Amino acid sequence: MAVLTVDTLPKLLLLRASEKPSGVALREKEFGVWQRETWEGYLGHVRRFCLGLVALGLSRGDKIAILSENCREWLYAELAAMSASAVGVGVYPTSPAAEVKYVVAHSESVFAVVQDQEQADKILEVIAELPLLKKIVVMDRKGMRAYTDPRILSFGEVEAIGAEHEGNHPRLFREMAEATRSNELAFLIYTSGTTGFPKGAMISHRNILAQVESVVDVTGIRASDSVVSYLPLCHVAEQIFSVFLPLSLGMTVNFAESVRTIQEDLREIAPTVFLGVPRIWEKLQSSILVKIQETGRLRRTLFERAIAAGAEAVRKELSGGRPGPLDRLGRHVHHLLICRALQNFVGLRRARRCFTAAAAISPEVLLFFRAIGIPILEGYGMTECTGFSFLQSGGDVRLGTVGRPIPGVEYRIAEDGELLKRGDGVFLGYYRDPNATAETLRDGWLHTGDVAEEDPDGHLRIVDRKKAIIVTAGGKNVSPSLIENALKVSPYIKEAVVLGEGERFLSALIQIDLENTGQWATSRRLSYTNFRNLASLPEVRDLIAKEVDRVNGGLSSAESVRKFRLLEKELDHDDNEVTATMKVRRKTIYDKFAPLIREIYG
Amino acid sequence: MTKEPLLRVNNLEVVYNHTVQVLKGLSLAVPEGEVVALLGSNGAGKSTTLKAISGLLPMEDGAVTDGEIRFGGVSLAGRQPHEIARRGVFQVMEGRRVFEELTVEENLSCASYARGGAGDLAGAYEKVYGYFPRLAERRRQLAGYLSGGEQQMLAIGRALVARPRLMLLDEPSLGLSPILVEEIFGIVSRINREEGTTILLVEQNANMALSVSSFGYIMENGRIVLDGPTSLLREDRDVREFYLGGHGGQRKSYRDLKHYKRRKRWLS
Repeated sequence: MAVLTVDTLPKLLLLRASEKPSGVALREKEFGVWQRETWEGYLGHVRRFCLGLVALGLSRGDKIAILSENCREWLYAELAAMSASAVGVGVYPTSPAAEVKYVVAHSESVFAVVQDQEQADKILEVIAELPLLKKIVVMDRKGMRAYTDPRILSFGEVEAIGAEHEGNHPRLFREMAEATRSNELAFLIYTSGTTGFPKGAMISHRNILAQVESVVDVTGIRASDSVVSYLPLCHVAEQIFSVFLPLSLGMTVNFAESVRTIQEDLREIAPTVFLGVPRIWEKLQSSILVKIQETGRLRRTLFERAIAAGAEAVRKELSGGRPGPLDRLGRHVHHLLICRALQNFVGLRRARRCFTAAAAISPEVLLFFRAIGIPILEGYGMTECTGFSFLQSGGDVRLGTVGRPIPGVEYRIAEDGELLKRGDGVFLGYYRDPNATAETLRDGWLHTGDVAEEDPDGHLRIVDRKKAIIVTAGGKNVSPSLIENALKVSPYIKEAVVLGEGERFLSALIQIDLENTGQWATSRRLSYTNFRNLASLPEVRDLIAKEVDRVNGGLSSAESVRKFRLLEKELDHDDNEVTATMKVRRKTIYDKFAPLIREIYG
Repeated sequence: MTKEPLLRVNNLEVVYNHTVQVLKGLSLAVPEGEVVALLGSNGAGKSTTLKAISGLLPMEDGAVTDGEIRFGGVSLAGRQPHEIARRGVFQVMEGRRVFEELTVEENLSCASYARGGAGDLAGAYEKVYGYFPRLAERRRQLAGYLSGGEQQMLAIGRALVARPRLMLLDEPSLGLSPILVEEIFGIVSRINREEGTTILLVEQNANMALSVSSFGYIMENGRIVLDGPTSLLREDRDVREFYLGGHGGQRKSYRDLKHYKRRKRWLS
């Protein structure tokens, strides 16, 4: 399908703005009122910001660090950089100063575009160690009147400089944008770094457009769709849905107020395409379950029946069976009575396409959403291949697998089980890290580091990260994330880390979910003050023990969790225990909770 | 703690107007004879907690939807405010709330209702004047003409007349000069020592509150996020930054204040 007529994102932006100048490109809430930006307006901001940076000394190939939550300016800055053949670098706004410094320094950024005082302070804290940095551009200068550093200026000021520059060089922007080349570096994505320092994956325009073409082909996402932008834009998944696809198709991006308020935002925006990470889906599921617990018996019974019937029908459907007329009637009744309301409750009633990616999800969660009429398609990919490389599609779904390769992706499974990939989406390499690049790109194949299996019908199942696989004393290979995800399905368990490398049995460190477990304790009249206190209640321990037993029931004996301990603190990015994308840093956990682990294994 | 505390709040949940949940499972304990501080920013639910204890919630269309409040071993659930007051719980409301058209002494006499009307009122007044000599000078003046500090003294004095077992003090420092704040806290401390009155103190002035209390709770969004003996709380890094102001005690200029709050983690 030829959706693309131009070969870089800046050219696509020019095309969109000339094709439908007054079409709505972006929507963002300001003081509670939705503001719209047209494609022409989008281009105008990008053009002025780009020329402003050029007037301030931006040259081809320079890097621009962007440190902000999702907002319009994020996209303006990214596209402005690309238009001048410079390169945007996303930095997680939740990153502590040390991590910000690492990414800004390693990427050799010359400009930093930051959201507000908080983010600016992180840069200023380490600015002495960032000699290459020329300017800090602040989107919202509130509280910064007393800042005297001459390197600070506002986003608006840069655009004003750009407007003036445009007056003197009216054709410059178009010339620069048209000079962008498809095989050039378009964007740098620093991986979240569960095992060490983050690495900067270099993505070209060609990578991006290959990805877009395949995804559109498989999913049927079209121009009339709308998406909500809420996951970090530093991550490839959100880039696909907030930048790559919208620019290619001309669809509308709505900015959520924040990732924390996503549930309310979803209800308001009602997107037609939605990407969730497993954590978000788990949260949506438990919000439904908790709400149901609070309602009356009639509704609860109705809900349980609808779920049971729905799950049954889904199982039948996915195994190739055809629902009879009675089944269909039953589902229709359930839809009217309860599922429709649940879909509205999570804000996904209008969603035509829902996806999950970025980490493994429990099939139980997928079954739940399918049962209430929200079919989620699971995908698999990585930054190094510019996003998706496997994706379930339409009716061809096996729960627990990630589907088939998208067009343009070639793959094979190496002897040790590692998944290798090839295709136009495969990145250019890691920035300033030839060793890591050579290790990942060998003989023309991208070595994913993931162990995978293929089922007889060609659906791929991801086992785990190669490094994460636990070999017990008995020599049994166990995939910890499978067990961890099964544990996390419990509304009372927020995080689980399975241990047991070289030990006789498996165990787990478990972090309870404060909200849901707290509510449970309250309903049982157990008093607690704070998180630590709650986690140390014997009743809570018993509750989690039951949940662990339930999960063990579905696992083989070698995989079952024999012992567990509850964490007395919540794992936190600031404390280095999880990455910005909330992936557990196992090494830190092993070190930090060593006494607890010793307690388990004696 | 083996001894049952004088006041015990268990998993309290409070909802206003049937819609807004303000307290989400709050628990705390106030042992007999102690001063316990309840700290937190605006809207954390501190005053709501006090009103739930004293039974004043229904007046603001609030309701306890779950949880339990036990005072002296008895549940306070469903009791009327006057009944709770007679049992020995006296709340000194935020913003003083004296009867402005009545004189100082008439104001004090109102509180005698809480102790059943009778008793040695003259002696009680003298005790109040002993703690607050300034009120003695103004005993015949209308309360509305008192300064803010004097009104606060009167409000506390009124509580003294009621001879409560538990005094709930809601932001006694509100709107007062630092010298007056110090004076009033000095007296609060004396009342606790000399009268043996147990006090649950809600304050924004964390420095003052922690200086007179033995145990503290820190509230946020309707929940306790941190609690402990005052001595430990004063050492906590987050408490120091968010409630005691500045690092290591050096004064900060308002120009240096940030428009954002560093994310709080409390238990790290």
